[in-house]
Amino acid sequence: MTEENPIWRLKYLPKALDEIYGRELLISRLKEFIKSKNFPHLLFVGSSGIGKTTIANLFSKEFLGDYFDANLKLVYADLPLTQEERSQAKSESYISTNKIGSMAGKSITTPVFIQVKIKPFVQLKVLGDVPFKILIVKNFEALGSNQQGFRRLMEIYGNNCRMILLTTKISGIIDPIISRCQLFLIPPLKYNKFEELILKISKKESIDVNIDIIKIIYRITEGRISKAIDILQLSSINSNIIDEKIIFESVKKFKNEDIEKLILNSFKGDFKKSRIMFREILSNYKYNANELFQKMLEVIIDLPISRFEKCKLINLIGDADFRALDGIDSDIQISAFISKLNAFGEYM
Amino acid sequence: MLLESICEIDMVKKKNDNIPWIEKYRPKSIKDMALPTAKLNRQKVNLVEELTKFIDIFFREIKNINNKNQEIKVFNRGCLEKEKKEIIKLPQEKTAILLEGQPGIGKTSIVYALANDMNMEVIETNASDTRTREALESKLKETTKSKGIMDFISETKRKLILIDEIDGIYGTKDRGAVPTILDLAKDTQFPIIMCANEYKLNLQSLYNAIPRYEVNPLSKDEILKIITKILSLENIDNIKQLDLELIINKNEGDLRGILNDLQALSQISNETPEERNKIIMSLHRDTTEEIFSIIRDLFQKVNTLNEARAITNKSDVDYNFLYKWINENLPMFVYNKRDLSNAFEYLSIADEIFGRIKKNMDWSLLPYFYDLFAGGVAIVGKENRTQGYKPVNFPRYSTSSFFSLNAAESSLIEKIQEKYPVSQSELFRDFIPFLKIYCAISRRNLKNLSDWLDLNAKEKNLLK
Repeated sequence: MTEENPIWRLKYLPKALDEIYGRELLISRLKEFIKSKNFPHLLFVGSSGIGKTTIANLFSKEFLGDYFDANLKLVYADLPLTQEERSQAKSESYISTNKIGSMAGKSITTPVFIQVKIKPFVQLKVLGDVPFKILIVKNFEALGSNQQGFRRLMEIYGNNCRMILLTTKISGIIDPIISRCQLFLIPPLKYNKFEELILKISKKESIDVNIDIIKIIYRITEGRISKAIDILQLSSINSNIIDEKIIFESVKKFKNEDIEKLILNSFKGDFKKSRIMFREILSNYKYNANELFQKMLEVIIDLPISRFEKCKLINLIGDADFRALDGIDSDIQISAFISKLNAFGEYM
Repeated sequence: MLLESICEIDMVKKKNDNIPWIEKYRPKSIKDMALPTAKLNRQKVNLVEELTKFIDIFFREIKNINNKNQEIKVFNRGCLEKEKKEIIKLPQEKTAILLEGQPGIGKTSIVYALANDMNMEVIETNASDTRTREALESKLKETTKSKGIMDFISETKRKLILIDEIDGIYGTKDRGAVPTILDLAKDTQFPIIMCANEYKLNLQSLYNAIPRYEVNPLSKDEILKIITKILSLENIDNIKQLDLELIINKNEGDLRGILNDLQALSQISNETPEERNKIIMSLHRDTTEEIFSIIRDLFQKVNTLNEARAITNKSDVDYNFLYKWINENLPMFVYNKRDLSNAFEYLSIADEIFGRIKKNMDWSLLPYFYDLFAGGVAIVGKENRTQGYKPVNFPRYSTSSFFSLNAAESSLIEKIQEKYPVSQSELFRDFIPFLKIYCAISRRNLKNLSDWLDLNAKEKNLLK
């Protein structure tokens, strides 16, 4: 534990609002909120890995000051209930017992999610010398149609607890929620800010990166700073001077090759092997069926096959994903898709 | 499991042909038995010792508890409603146990022999009784809850409750049986021993509540010893050593089956060796493996949709379960790629329909589900079907375990989250892959990281 933080991503994680780079406008607004000791419900929209959670966390900490431990809660709307929460829900008879066995872990029954995870926190009184508590909900769009229930909570307990909702897809959020929140769009970092930041880090770590290389990194990571820092760290391990070749080598390592291998193997027609492969991928990366299909889609778009074949494959994926939503056993749906790839491989 | 001394007493040689040998030679005492070995939680245990201990402890503790409850009752009578104390009960794992093992290896016999040795009366219920909630309660509840009137007057025989063939509790016929048994186990006055043949999903709540002993079959040598003894007692010498071995091998440790076969064989007079072999093999008993044969029939024999329907209707297997078996075993039986993808197409639609049935409770859709997952799959690839014996696999893989983490994974996640507060799913998809790449580059990196996060060996392995 005495060692210095070996992972740069964590080392350069901002520890105060002031340290957040390149978002001056947003930060100044948030600081005004802190000064006036009041703010409305907030909704942060931006693609993943961009820093929404970090900003929300730091803002809440600075807003609540010394009392942040008791008055701040962060929940993930897309995570299933844990064992304890489920047994708590059971003992308070939110869930009927038969739901617990077969449905456990598969989908979150959202009213229960709200009742167990959110309501107890929101209902409790504020502790200490702060105007209200703060609740941060990540991946808010995952609540789906049960956002209606959440909207009532925002109205009833809004005086006691303010909510900061984070989402990647604003289209997944119902209008009444958007109208109750102050909306902040968080775009990817601008290139000049990105360049400044990377140069600053490389100076601190005493590595040599020129402007062209930073442009390449910016293009690859789409402005996601945490990923850029990861790539920088991997590239710097072998040499202090970073050139194009080293960058591409380390980027290659990031590519998830398992899924590409799975698809290529499926084209060859060995079903049993493909089945073992996809089951391994699911357990290693903890994907669900929907996420696996979307990763496959990304791979298929880059495959060296004709555009007609691509369209056909995308059609197949879409169909399989749709069925997996309705069906019970997603293993069957993924197997069915793989078996279709097997048959498809014969024509190619 | 058979007797030594008792046989000699029984050797009065009345040549009682009507009694089946299995009843005639059922051991009357533990001393006469060849004892099967057993396991509890994968640890080898001495079954007889454990059973004796279980019964002794049960009667000792139930006596204490009864005395205490008597005091509580007296106390409750003279106080307010609020201050009343609850009656103490023994935990379920001390009132009931489960013996599990293949048929005919002596589970029931050992219980009877033990009861005989300890001078106890056995109250048995088995698969021949209907075991709905009401039936079980009426039969057992009186015995479990109260002592008979006679017990106050004299010290009568202690009782032992044997619930045999508990895995025979099936679907709708015996609805509510398992919860009833668990209820019974909560406030029984006598120890309960249950027997089962195989692991059953619907008995899960039972497995969680009470200790489960896996009883292993006897070794071939022991079986041979027993049957030569019986054959000599019965004065039979026309069965050859080879035939004996064939019978023993065919029955795979099922001593009851062996004895029945032998008795049947002993009544047949001289035949040619080939005919004898045929007779031995024809004495086949359908023991288990119903689902295995369903799967094989479905893929290898069925030609029309009606035949497929007949098989699924006839079977007692839960459809909920059957279509997962089909999913797991499809690639074993269908080789042709085109056929396989067609079969999976039908199966996936069946799954989709089933999902809608469950979501909206549209049970009228169920016939389509049935015909698609069984019939549709069986008809596909009729031309190029595989022949011959194929192994059938158990569907172990479950998609609902996506997010179940093992101990090492969850402790690793916790340690990372202390430093880097992001969600589990983000860690698995984004951060941990990076850590793996980082650690793969050099051993020093791995060491730095594990020092910093204070990881143990198992957690370190996850990052390799």
